[in-house]
Amino acid sequence: MIHPIRAGVFALAAVVAGCAGNGEATRDVIQNKGSDTLVNVAQAWAEEYAKVTAETAVAVSGGGSGTGISAMINGTVDIANSSRRMTDSELEQARANGHDPIEYIVGFDALAVFLHEDNPLGDMSLDQLADIYGEGGTTERWSQLDVAPPGCPSDKIVRVSRQNNSGTYFYYRDAILGDQRDFKLGSLDMHGSKDVVDLVENTPCAIGYSGLAYATEHISMPCIRASEGGDCVDPTVATAIDGSYPISRPLFMYTAGEPEGAIREYLDWVLSDVGQCILHQKGYAPRAVLDCS
Amino acid sequence: MFEATARNRRNQSVEGGFRLLFLWMTCMLILPVVLILGVLIYRGGPAISYEFLLTPPTDGMTAGGILPALIGTVWLVVVALLASVPVGVAAALYLSEYAPDNRLTRAINLAIINLAGVPSIVHALFGVGAFVIFFRFGTSILAASLTLAIMTLPVVIVSTRESLQTVPRAFREACWNMGATRWQTIRKVVLPNSISGILTGVILEVSRTAGETAPIMFTGAVFFSPFLPQSVLDQTMAMSLHLFVIQTQVPNVPEHVPFGVALVLISMVLAMNGLSIAFRVYLRGRKKW
Repeated sequence: MIHPIRAGVFALAAVVAGCAGNGEATRDVIQNKGSDTLVNVAQAWAEEYAKVTAETAVAVSGGGSGTGISAMINGTVDIANSSRRMTDSELEQARANGHDPIEYIVGFDALAVFLHEDNPLGDMSLDQLADIYGEGGTTERWSQLDVAPPGCPSDKIVRVSRQNNSGTYFYYRDAILGDQRDFKLGSLDMHGSKDVVDLVENTPCAIGYSGLAYATEHISMPCIRASEGGDCVDPTVATAIDGSYPISRPLFMYTAGEPEGAIREYLDWVLSDVGQCILHQKGYAPRAVLDCS
Repeated sequence: MFEATARNRRNQSVEGGFRLLFLWMTCMLILPVVLILGVLIYRGGPAISYEFLLTPPTDGMTAGGILPALIGTVWLVVVALLASVPVGVAAALYLSEYAPDNRLTRAINLAIINLAGVPSIVHALFGVGAFVIFFRFGTSILAASLTLAIMTLPVVIVSTRESLQTVPRAFREACWNMGATRWQTIRKVVLPNSISGILTGVILEVSRTAGETAPIMFTGAVFFSPFLPQSVLDQTMAMSLHLFVIQTQVPNVPEHVPFGVALVLISMVLAMNGLSIAFRVYLRGRKKW
């Protein structure tokens, strides 16, 4: 009567033994976690690096820059990805826990402003964006910007933003509003860059922002003027590399202490031309101009 | 002689009305299941192929298959079962066969009910604090599976205890009167007669474990890992988290892929449920009372 249990236990044991037994040599596992902006590049790097060497496995997780940084502080990650610099207090907390973060700039990202594809607005300034997004800003309606987006009879500007552990959220706030001013309440705060794009694609009244790499064909991206009357620069990889696009930011990887062994090799590969070209293909700007054709 | 009065007729029509109402409600219950399965098969079906099941994802997770996620979910479920079933069944045996009705027992019962009510995201935070950081398992299959095990313990305990209690008390008394000890009674009489119910609980746990996302996303499941896990201390991809990330994070995923992943996940769960039903029918057929 008890045989079914025994059979079950043996079956389980066999599965576990089988799974454990199929390992070849043990390999190094690099834990890589953080920024949602970087997560798709990090994934592409990990995927390609598996072809370079079978001795190192890179496990990638997202969650946001804040997630990566707090994992660095807790010491549960080998490389933290971040789309913003670690703050002084975060660095102190990490050092207090015995992890001295070393910073690497792995590329640059142009932050694009997204509009619905039917929105005729093709040209915006940082001041206009501040008036739309910033606390105390008075721009609430598209007619204040002299446009009437088709399919948006209410005329109301639907502001799309990000959740507040996002590095993109902090960078955009600092770039548009300076470090003193906060966002207006009442924006739709999305969990990821892709969610922002999906929402703006389907909402004629919407305005949103995210890394250029998340842009799709069904979205319109206005050029941005740093100042009223200045040059209007399109968000492209080229304008991010030459620094002319006003909302472009460095992307970071942090290691706990000076990296060694497999982590060192992986970072060297990420910063090599091969790694930088993968970043370029994903729609981000490499650290230097290089030929990836 | 027994001609229906106006009152009888009214009662009958009210009766019929309620019957129809309840029938309608019951049919409404089936509707979501049929709709979900229908949509998944219609939209996800084209994605399913041997290649989809047996290769890792490629091209920034927009092409290729789901093998690491599939294997990862099997790992998570098996390790969670190995942790929770022995503990859960032992606890249920104690509560059903040994425990006196005192304050301690009542406190334990209360704890089980409360454990079942804890939201899965709270289990996730507990898992991070306890297994990842305090026990230093790191983010790993072990930490994720233990978190899942704690989350599903109440299911195992409650279903096991209920199936133990379906064994008539007379069986136990007869056995004791032959001079058997409590443990002999449990092993030879109680367990064999309640095994089908226990297995149902276990399989319910598998279904729930395979689908959970929150408890594993901070404790052991990753966005992407190019290789299959080799030990319980590795991190792994998992079906539920994979579905979440390709839907919300990865640009340009072909539309049928997320539906395909969902279809595979729900098929795994339904297959496990089917297995449990078949097994139960088989064991019930062998029941001698």
